[in-house]
Amino acid sequence: MNFPLSINLQSRRDLLKTAGGGFGSIALNAMLQQELGAAQIPPNSVTQIAHHPPRAKRVVQLFMAGAASHLDLFDYKPALIKHHGEKSDFGEHVEAFQNGLGPWMKPVWDFQPYGACGKMISEPVAPLGSVIDEISFVHNVTGKSGVHSQATYLQATGFNRPGFPGMGCWISYGLGNLSDELPTFVVLPDHRGFASNGPKNWSSAFLPAQHQGTIIRPGTSDPITHLRPSGKTNFATSMADADGQAVLARLNREHARERPGDSRLEARIKSYEMAARMQLSAPEALDLSKEPAFIKKMYGLAEPGTQWPKTINAPEEADYFGRKCLTARRLLERGVRFVQIWSGNDNGFPRRNWDSHEDIERDHGPLANGMAIGTSALIADLKQRGMLDDTIILWTTEFGRMPSTQGSKGRDHNPFVFTNWLAGGGIKGGLVHGESDEWGYKPLDRRNPTEVYDIHATIMHLLGLDHEKLTFRKDSIDRRLTDVHGHVIKELLA
Amino acid sequence: MKTMPRRFSILPLILLCGLLLDSSRGEDPTWWSFRPLSRPIAPRISEFRDADRAFNKIDRFVIAKLREQGLRLSPEADRRMLVRRLYFNIIGLPPTPDEVEKFVNDPDPNAYEKLVEKLLDSPRYGERWARHWLDVVHFGETHGYDKDKLRLNAWPYRDYVIRSFNEDKPYAQFVKEQIAGDILWPTSPDGVVATGFIAAGPWDFIGHAEVPETKRDGKIARHLDRDDMVATTMNTFSSITVQCAQCHDHKADPVTMTDYYSLQSVFAALDRADRDYDIDPKIAAKRLELKAQLSSSEQAIAKLNQEIEKAKTDEIRIAEKKIAKIEKSLSSENSNSSQFGYHSKIASTQDTEKWIQIDLGRVASIQTIGLFGAKEYGFDDFGFPYQFRIETALEESFEKATLVAQFEDVDHPRPGSEPVEIKAGGIEARYLRMTASKLWPRHMKGQTVSEDWIFALGELAVIADGKVAEVVGVHSLDSIQAPPRWSKKNVSDGLFGGSSKIHLEKWLPGDSKDQSAQLARLVDLRNKLLLRVAGPKAAARVEQVAIKSELEQKIAGLPKPQKIYAGTIHKGSGNFIGRGGLQGTPRPIFVLNRGDVSQPGDPVTPGAVPGIVDSLPESFKLPANHHEGDRRVALAEWITHPENKLTWRSIVNRIWQYHFGRGIVDTPNDFGRIGAAPSHPELLDWLAVEFRESGGSMKHLHRLILKSAVYRQSSSDIATMAEIDSSNQYLWRQNRRRVEAEVVRDSVLALAGKLGLKMGGPSFQDFVIEHPEHSPHYQYHLSDPDDPAIHRRSVYRFAVRSQPQPLMDALDCADPSLLVDKRSETNTALQALAMLNNALLLRMSEHFAERISAEPEPVAAAFTLALARSPNPSELKTLNDYAAEHGLAATCRLILNLNEFSFID
Repeated sequence: MNFPLSINLQSRRDLLKTAGGGFGSIALNAMLQQELGAAQIPPNSVTQIAHHPPRAKRVVQLFMAGAASHLDLFDYKPALIKHHGEKSDFGEHVEAFQNGLGPWMKPVWDFQPYGACGKMISEPVAPLGSVIDEISFVHNVTGKSGVHSQATYLQATGFNRPGFPGMGCWISYGLGNLSDELPTFVVLPDHRGFASNGPKNWSSAFLPAQHQGTIIRPGTSDPITHLRPSGKTNFATSMADADGQAVLARLNREHARERPGDSRLEARIKSYEMAARMQLSAPEALDLSKEPAFIKKMYGLAEPGTQWPKTINAPEEADYFGRKCLTARRLLERGVRFVQIWSGNDNGFPRRNWDSHEDIERDHGPLANGMAIGTSALIADLKQRGMLDDTIILWTTEFGRMPSTQGSKGRDHNPFVFTNWLAGGGIKGGLVHGESDEWGYKPLDRRNPTEVYDIHATIMHLLGLDHEKLTFRKDSIDRRLTDVHGHVIKELLA
Repeated sequence: MKTMPRRFSILPLILLCGLLLDSSRGEDPTWWSFRPLSRPIAPRISEFRDADRAFNKIDRFVIAKLREQGLRLSPEADRRMLVRRLYFNIIGLPPTPDEVEKFVNDPDPNAYEKLVEKLLDSPRYGERWARHWLDVVHFGETHGYDKDKLRLNAWPYRDYVIRSFNEDKPYAQFVKEQIAGDILWPTSPDGVVATGFIAAGPWDFIGHAEVPETKRDGKIARHLDRDDMVATTMNTFSSITVQCAQCHDHKADPVTMTDYYSLQSVFAALDRADRDYDIDPKIAAKRLELKAQLSSSEQAIAKLNQEIEKAKTDEIRIAEKKIAKIEKSLSSENSNSSQFGYHSKIASTQDTEKWIQIDLGRVASIQTIGLFGAKEYGFDDFGFPYQFRIETALEESFEKATLVAQFEDVDHPRPGSEPVEIKAGGIEARYLRMTASKLWPRHMKGQTVSEDWIFALGELAVIADGKVAEVVGVHSLDSIQAPPRWSKKNVSDGLFGGSSKIHLEKWLPGDSKDQSAQLARLVDLRNKLLLRVAGPKAAARVEQVAIKSELEQKIAGLPKPQKIYAGTIHKGSGNFIGRGGLQGTPRPIFVLNRGDVSQPGDPVTPGAVPGIVDSLPESFKLPANHHEGDRRVALAEWITHPENKLTWRSIVNRIWQYHFGRGIVDTPNDFGRIGAAPSHPELLDWLAVEFRESGGSMKHLHRLILKSAVYRQSSSDIATMAEIDSSNQYLWRQNRRRVEAEVVRDSVLALAGKLGLKMGGPSFQDFVIEHPEHSPHYQYHLSDPDDPAIHRRSVYRFAVRSQPQPLMDALDCADPSLLVDKRSETNTALQALAMLNNALLLRMSEHFAERISAEPEPVAAAFTLALARSPNPSELKTLNDYAAEHGLAATCRLILNLNEFSFID
């Protein structure tokens, strides 16, 4: 069914009221709720949404910061094994970020087939083998720049510069919330630091602020900024809070009663009520202690108090990433719509990110294994709870790595081709859509690569949104997540 | 390289610039903002109701429009509302109860006008209104993107804006200074500083500093950089969205791709970087004069060089080749490397010992040791220890060490940029170790920022056996390896202090038969040969070189200039070269097919947009050998031309918006056909002409607006009016205003009695920086809410792009990566939580409580201070009951969370 709405705000609201009970009611109700409860949407904005029945409600985006190597994890290239150590020849002039154009370099690890689909993946990501039939790979994703900052922006926001909302913001804007006790869009950053661009990757930019990604740091004393009184004061007790909420509500309502016709006053009162509910529900949502032991084990969680060696290692990485995955599942269950999990901090030293210029094995090994354990558990767990059907998992990174060596053990940036994969939420599993060339240097069919816009368009399609119609007017341009591009990848749809 | 046709190439690009407008381009004479500007006659309203309320012409325009719509003015707000409205609107701070009572009870019929004047005269006015301007130009103090480094010299631009508002600087001058002040008023303290405008926005550090302009990624970064300069300039001053013509001609407005790239070429010589300026105009003039002389001297030398070059014999050329070879081995071409050094791991106590040692590869007789500080964050001796010792040994283990020098009884003086020279008396050793025993704290502006203690060093150089010793290995107790910036091997790279190995030569024994002596001999030989073939020219050259050197010395002798982060001709090295080495010649700019840097089309010449200033050609008339600055001057003249149809309308609309919450045109950055139409087009034009003819006086415009009856209306809803015009676009009432993030923070500090009113200077940082070596981590939660340094007005807050300050961000403060012509206003749960639980607000609630605790009715006093009115009995009882249970601080916290505190009637 196709149902384009192209109407101004006033009549859109009326229409939403009447259409609320019909098809696509999740989206419509959520939008209605959002409009009545929240801020003014600038009167010049024209939100045009074409709805079709959604296949999915929720998204988990796994972002490998620093640029994960497709060649050593998911994109099997026998030619590199055969020609390992030979002088690389790309057949054309290549501009590499750090001129890392040494000999061809075979994948660091062996590949093996998994699942009914027989997809070849490498040793550190072998834990994904048990869910491989849920996953579809896209091996011909291409970017625009080999600079981390621009490329990260591109994958996160659809534009290679600051000033644009993250994908989660657009989806929050288009669909609204499923819960009024938790944020709609949650970000679980790498606990060691932000990736390139930091919070700008999930900033709401020109969209209203409620669509911004909310950072949650599970397991810390202050998992959500300002959730509890911060600093050293002690007068803000929970009793003072509870009584205070009542006093505020009473005085604010009196103030609003004397000032009829201003919906902002009531909206602000509501925001305090929602804050109080979030204070109750967030700690419960983030408490992993009640999870049964087998679940914790499945996600790779270590025993409390485990001491870690100083060098990067797989069990520690599994613990970090698994905690985020398990937290994500609990948040999804409680109505969070979009969870973004980051692996890897900024590109400093010692490396705790995927930017393996020096040594793929050293960094990619533990990071990939940790990621694969947590991710595999998340997919299996969502499936056993019946949630995989309407939860999309997207695995991405800002670009790939070159098939040639840098130094003797590292690989330079490859913005020309890299891998994404998707699972759940209306994605047909066990497929490969789009291939890279025999070296994994560029798309096999250079005229028809996959771009981030296509991935974004596909996800929005599965959520019941038309990526060409979910727009917001900014400086004369009806901005969209997909700029002027994007095609739904029909082959991936179940 | 995406040069091949793509499958979306036939997609309707029409989508990009939005609406399904017909794509006919060209000037649209019917669109309001492209019509010439003239002063309309204010409507006659003498026979209308409310005619007697018209204070000035603004009222006549508005009343006439209201009547057309069947609406009328609301009653005037009472004085208690007006005083609060004026204070927040003009200075952004609450009135004190005394100020409220004085105004409310002032028998003078001109009390309102007096108050307007008083507030416009307050220096707080400039601070308040500069913040609006900084939103529009997206001023920030870090780069954004990856490696979000600090811009420690951006603040003088912010002070310039504050100063300009307070001085009521003529608007045309304000505009010209920001685009080309360095050219037009090079010796004025404002001229250079104002060009901080050009550099205000984000900058991709890696795309510029780590990728050369020859690579595609480098080209993209520089293209985006110029795009930001063009969009910022044209949106800010002329409300025209030229950036829509980057990939195709503008879909709605008369802007072609050629026009857009012509604007890029105006900025094509510039980069964002620190540049020097002098506060003292006399020094500035002197420096300019000397630099001009230096430039002619350099030109004279260049000319002589050319002539001498022609006369050179083969013998001379061979000598020169040898000279070049030796010089190369003695120096380094990469001056950036002088910043590189060693950085220890962080210690938690100051007396932790940290050491670094070098291996000379063999036993040698050590004469002199040179210790050079590391350059970082404006320090020349970053991390240089307070106390340390130098030992030598024959074995790597240092079990048997010989003490060479010890500075451990008292602190060693800070070396600054000077090397610390230690005479070793020819001691025989293979290894040399420096042990820091009293470490250096990381600090900013003299204030310790954390309990982090470190040891850093730029270079550890040794003269042994009469020459600069070769170092074969470096070891240290520990180190932060963040190459190339920090690496232990950097201490022996021969690069330090902005100088090179030659710097060290002066320590060498006089009879050294090393390369320096050979160099001297060769130079002597070359000179003799030259004299033979080109005697008079060579002599003239010697004379010119002496003149040049004298000029350089004179320039060096001037007082040290200040620095401003500005749009400037940059002369750099490595990948970030800029155009300084090319005498500031602009980069050639081409129309880029679909905005793709790998598809350059026709070259463009500098120009602006046709149809906006009828009497000026859109392509600037500049001589072939013009200076890049001439391009910016031409653009500034075009923008401020009295006939410019956009500029004057643009600025009066912005000012109007900040008084009413909504502009006459509701899209202040876009007066094009996709933007909004004006609700009061005649009023807008009248204001634009009035403003222009007042000499561009903002204060004149403020007075007109603030004194109008329209402004003074009550903001109360009237159901019958709302039925006709629910959004109040015709201004039948004043708009109730949500206060901005800065106003909340400043007001809370003021109520707590903590607001410091120091004006200007470097921004306060309400965060602690961790891991500065790559992308600094800005840790806001580590900031001490009782640190008086942060108790300043929020306009002086150091604005980080990548990591917004959590309180300000929750309160919708402007994102410095976006051109913010209008703040968004939201109500979110996270915002409520921030208002309740932010550490600064909680601590200020306590100070607020202390301040009123001695009052006979403390709760009533707090309420009155915060809201400019006394509580009614029911409010007072509710709050007093709460205070009895939970205390005054908790009650003050509640008052700060009331809707009434965040809204102004």
